[in-house]
Amino acid sequence: MTTEIDNHNWLFKGRCYKLGHDVPHAGGVIPNPLITAREFDPQKLIPHLFAETDPGFHQRVKPGDIIVTGRNFGMGPKMNGYIAMQALGLGVVCESMPFLAYRAAVGVGLPVMTDCFNVTELCDSGDELEVDFRSGMFFNHTRDIRKEYPPLPDALQEIVALGGNTGWLKRWWQQQQTARQ
Amino acid sequence: MGMTAVEKILARASGRASVAPGELIEPVPDFIMIHDGVVLAARQELDALGITRIANPDKVVMVTDHDVLYNSELAVRRGAFNRAAARDWGVKRFFDAGRGGHGHVFPMETGIVTPGTLYFDNDRHCTNVGGIGAVAFRMGTEISRVLATGSNWLMVPHTIKLVIKGKAQAGVHARDIGFVIGAMLNEPSESSGVEIDYRILEFTGELDQFSLAARVSMCSTPTEMRAIGVFFPPSAEIIAYSRARTQQPFEAVYSDKDANYESTMELDVGRLQPQVALPGGPHRAADLSSVAGQRIDHAFIGSCGSSMWEDLEIAAGYLRGRRVAPGVRLLVVPGSEQSTLRMAHEGLAQVFLDAGATILPAGCGPCASGRNGLVHAGEVSISTAVGNGTGRFGSREAKLFLGSPATVAASAVSGCITDPRALTSH
Repeated sequence: MTTEIDNHNWLFKGRCYKLGHDVPHAGGVIPNPLITAREFDPQKLIPHLFAETDPGFHQRVKPGDIIVTGRNFGMGPKMNGYIAMQALGLGVVCESMPFLAYRAAVGVGLPVMTDCFNVTELCDSGDELEVDFRSGMFFNHTRDIRKEYPPLPDALQEIVALGGNTGWLKRWWQQQQTARQ
Repeated sequence: MGMTAVEKILARASGRASVAPGELIEPVPDFIMIHDGVVLAARQELDALGITRIANPDKVVMVTDHDVLYNSELAVRRGAFNRAAARDWGVKRFFDAGRGGHGHVFPMETGIVTPGTLYFDNDRHCTNVGGIGAVAFRMGTEISRVLATGSNWLMVPHTIKLVIKGKAQAGVHARDIGFVIGAMLNEPSESSGVEIDYRILEFTGELDQFSLAARVSMCSTPTEMRAIGVFFPPSAEIIAYSRARTQQPFEAVYSDKDANYESTMELDVGRLQPQVALPGGPHRAADLSSVAGQRIDHAFIGSCGSSMWEDLEIAAGYLRGRRVAPGVRLLVVPGSEQSTLRMAHEGLAQVFLDAGATILPAGCGPCASGRNGLVHAGEVSISTAVGNGTGRFGSREAKLFLGSPATVAASAVSGCITDPRALTSH
């Protein structure tokens, strides 16, 4: 497993997209009808990411860009919005996240760091950021700021490196088959 | 440093001497529960990966409680799919429509869940079993991993202690207390010093006044406020109740005196009057007197918050010899098939039917994403549902109040929101 974690790209370099506090998953991240319809197809979700608050978001972002949020990001245990972020190659750094929202993000393989105290005071939308989700290092090159935050825990890096729960299960099953032979 | 009861249960299931909040563990649950709404997605995910067997079929409990009556073509297909899944996976404890009832109620009544049990469930209302001194964790869509491997990762939650003081007055039900606790937990953590997200809420203090059904009722609202679990130290009476219903050995688990609590709250229940939750959420507690006389169209007694035998008995006390008011429809949804049968044997079914209520099959009733017994725009409902967010069961233009089984029954016969103390219960 170390190989998969080591080979995974944990270092994100890109633009900052800053959000405030208390952005809920339903409506704030992705429109609620897609959540209740249990839409999990990334291609169908991507055009609607932040559609109610920042139309056209998906057309402006590039892989490696980082969403920075305030406290209590993504309220709700559902994962539809994180599926779209993961497919776009984005990472998330937030001041806090309800635990089940965090769990949902990890479960779809989204690189995410939570409990990053006051991080929204260290950056603005458009800043050039660099974040290492494995070590917790946060750089704002625009403002020349360096900060260390709690990284993604070791035990969860495996799930993210494998692309989420389904990827984890796929590899687990392959190992079971190999062990049986 | 000692451990809380939930920490002890998690340590036991993880094969460790101790666990502490924040640690990531992989406990092996005593059993796994999955309900009718999510079997399809879980099986499709596993099938697509070629995983056609599950880790331990004997440890799986499948329940049909969300859409018992198959209120859509999709539900009919799903019912057939679920039966095939149970057969192919070899799940013997498959409680199909009409066989068990509500998955968060009947397992306590039949001894599947006892004090000290740990189980994993796809649904967050599994926290109900805290009422019997057990603990369960919501896995959501990750239930597929639990089915395939028998376990999953878990972060050990912090525990908050809630000290109950005083004795509830006659007419004040556990659900009323739950709404008040919801309001307390809704206070911003910056001012209250209590953060409930992903915490266990452990009750202590004057608990002898609360029966099993009352304790289960009080698990409901904290769960809506994002507690990951609720825990009551089981009384001697509850242990005896479980012993009479199970074949499996079990040991009740209690917190150490020097256990670590993240914060402590207190509630004097003696000063409380009957409550309602105003439309918008179960934490919107208000004295019932502030809305007394509000006309209603719809009333519903049931859901995992209030559907044990005692809840039905309390409601029947206000319906016996009375009729549901003209213009009001009252739905009664027992928590288990066992309760439905007992209602027939002991005359409660007659009481409800004589009053003009409609008895639905055991399960979630209207509360589960609103599949039956819905409300129309402009209508007013009072119910014991777990939640009353906008559109919970029907039109977004309806007003949904919550109350105790006593309040809902008293309101149904009066045609308006009514303090149960205004009526004689018999």
